[in-house]
Amino acid sequence: MADTNQSGCLTVGEGVVLNGTFVVPDIASVSGSIEGDITARELIVASSGVIKGKVTAEIIDLRGEIHDTLTAKKSLFIRSTGKALGSVQYAEIEIEKGGDLQGSLQKIDGEGPASGSY
Amino acid sequence: MFINKKRNDEREKMATPTENSQVPVIQPEPVEPEPMQADTEAGYPSGANGNGGKPSVNNLKPSIISEGFEFIGEIRSNGYLTIDGTVRGTLSLHSIQIGVTGVLDGNVTCDTMNVKGNFSGALDCRDLTIGSRAVVDGKVSFKSITIQRGGVVKGELKKKP
Repeated sequence: MADTNQSGCLTVGEGVVLNGTFVVPDIASVSGSIEGDITARELIVASSGVIKGKVTAEIIDLRGEIHDTLTAKKSLFIRSTGKALGSVQYAEIEIEKGGDLQGSLQKIDGEGPASGSY
Repeated sequence: MFINKKRNDEREKMATPTENSQVPVIQPEPVEPEPMQADTEAGYPSGANGNGGKPSVNNLKPSIISEGFEFIGEIRSNGYLTIDGTVRGTLSLHSIQIGVTGVLDGNVTCDTMNVKGNFSGALDCRDLTIGSRAVVDGKVSFKSITIQRGGVVKGELKKKP
């Protein structure tokens, strides 16, 4: 994922704390903590990852936590350790047993079936 | 005697064509297999194994609201209910399964809920499973939730401690 320096990707390692607004053209992989807004094509939040703010991505793979606002234009996967709290918009959703989803849910029209590397 | 014989003859005349015409009707309709192979662990039998401490549940036979059957009112039971038809009202059950053709609209309290069809209203449950063709709309509180890919959930979700 982040072994090679891929263009358009953001990797936030465990223990790293970021504040601000982030626009990621490709994959954002978050193991640390982000406070602020993040927009990515694909967002992968590891089990240690925490995001507080407005999150927008086509595909979200959630093993950590996202608070506040979450928009998945294509797919939202909440794994068993994942937590999504707040206002959630999605085109397609899947939650594993144990995954946590709380707040208001809204389905939006997706841009066709989800594709990509998940 | 003669009258009886005549009547019998008439009956035979009557019966022969009717029986013939009934032959295709009597044949059992082909039963469409329920498309539940992907999530059999979420079906109601698992509730019996997974929930210790409520032995009375295991003794109860499942109740079924069949397809085409509409029920409006209140249901209270400590057992299983499978809904393939339409139910509107207040339900308090141990376990509910809404089939692909099932529609449930109302206030529901239960332990295990498995939705493959359509649910709207208010739901309070422990274990909620939403199938890939299900639509859930309303106020839902749960302890554990599973949504299979393709399932649609709208409204307010709350996790109970």
